[in-house]
Amino acid sequence: MSQETLLTRPLKIEDLLQRNIYDVDEDPHIEIPRGSEQEGLPKEALVYLCPAGCYTRIGDEILFSYEGCVECGLCRIISPPDKIRWEYPKSGRGVQYRFT
Amino acid sequence: MSITGKFDVVVVGAGPAGSAAAYILAKAGFKVLVVERGRGAGSKELFGGKVYAQPLRDIWPDLDKSAPIHRWVTKERFSLVVGERVLTVEYSSPRPVGFTTYLPELAKWMADKAVEAGALLIDEVRVDEIVVKDGRVIGVRSGGDLVEADVVVDAEGVNRLLLEKLGLVERLDPKHIALGVKEVLRTGKGVIEEKLGLGKDEGMAWMVAGDITAGIPGGGFIYTMKDMISIGLVLHVGKAVEAAEKGLLREHVSLLLEKFRLHPYFKRIWGEADIMEYGGHLTIEGGLGLVPKKLAINGLVVVGDAAGLLLNTGYTVRGVDFAATSGRLAAEAIIEAFNNGGPSEENLRVYEDKLKSSFVWRELVRHRGIERVMSDPLFFTKLPRLLIGVMKRLYEADYEEPTILDAFIESTSEEDISLARLLFKLGSVVGKL
Repeated sequence: MSQETLLTRPLKIEDLLQRNIYDVDEDPHIEIPRGSEQEGLPKEALVYLCPAGCYTRIGDEILFSYEGCVECGLCRIISPPDKIRWEYPKSGRGVQYRFT
Repeated sequence: MSITGKFDVVVVGAGPAGSAAAYILAKAGFKVLVVERGRGAGSKELFGGKVYAQPLRDIWPDLDKSAPIHRWVTKERFSLVVGERVLTVEYSSPRPVGFTTYLPELAKWMADKAVEAGALLIDEVRVDEIVVKDGRVIGVRSGGDLVEADVVVDAEGVNRLLLEKLGLVERLDPKHIALGVKEVLRTGKGVIEEKLGLGKDEGMAWMVAGDITAGIPGGGFIYTMKDMISIGLVLHVGKAVEAAEKGLLREHVSLLLEKFRLHPYFKRIWGEADIMEYGGHLTIEGGLGLVPKKLAINGLVVVGDAAGLLLNTGYTVRGVDFAATSGRLAAEAIIEAFNNGGPSEENLRVYEDKLKSSFVWRELVRHRGIERVMSDPLFFTKLPRLLIGVMKRLYEADYEEPTILDAFIESTSEEDISLARLLFKLGSVVGKL
């Protein structure tokens, strides 16, 4: 990426996450339901506030991918407990912070 | 996790609170196990950037010599931002009380100290449950493995999965929680000195309030590291969720942070510095709202973020020193408990007494209610607009500038602020700041 781009426009979340080191677990440590079972999830909040952009909207549904997750716990505390399964990754997997 | 034998104390989490407790207990000859979910201590840590040194020196007297101190904070800035207009106050002092660091580095240093003192640290192990038998905590479980201990120190951090499972705390209430997002920018060392007027080892802590948070209660921060600058935003989770669900927040939180990085007033400091890391973490809004009803039960004490011990006044944030101090006090209480017949609830509750007569508790009580101030739109939105409005009238007049009083009156009427209400509100909170 050229230096010019860094100063001229904001980076997308995918590009920001590229800066990080991850050791992604093969099993998801977070799960949410699909389709109509998502009723009751704060979809807009998940899409805009998950710092890693793990939640994206496709029509009425939200898609979740855990790969860029920074394990902050936000989605857990804003979702109904029966609509989300949330654990930390096991065996030291997940984000590996260095400078934070 | 193939750890055999019983321990005097098992500490869950190798953060500042857990490692402080482990260090003091190991030094006193206790058989201590620290269980950390991350790869090495510190790999899951994220904070703003500044640590108060003296409470840490009370635990680790060689702090100044051996800790990963990046810069001593000799300059504090506070800015109000409305659009491209910025009002900044700077305080410069030759007597720094805090330093900047990366928390992954500092946490690793703290954990190393505990290990040097004789504690056993195992990482990459996630504790799944605090195990209770016959009304007392007897150890922790990870997968199918049970490790027994006379006392468990819960230093699991802000996400209290274990304490919730145990029924000791409720689910985190978003109104007591803030979300922090952070970028670390590699400026190179000379840049920081030159752009911010700092000496070689001098650092800056800079808090920012105003419309950089898109109307959501919260603010921004900037901290100088050795050759990098950390920038971030902190948003009140309860209010942010409300805004998003009402359609008032239409940008991803990382975009708000990117806009802060690219704000014309701030970006000239770091310029084209590359982004080295990006992250997010939950933090405590402040106040005593997240402190569990009991900080000690039979065989268990709770320390650090898990105990709800963090203060955010808007101009300073204290978390690491509170956490480490709570770990120290818990360790001292455990030592006393063993000397007085064992870790019963009654004996361990000495920790609560110690905490409640410490500076940590006094600070939290003194600033009680600050979290309500911080989430009041009058303060985080209207006050910046009012003051920027006054400045604009005073400094942007081509021919005739108003008196300060007139500028104030015009600005309050433009922002639709009742001066009487503002003064009343200011009067009611000034004692909490």
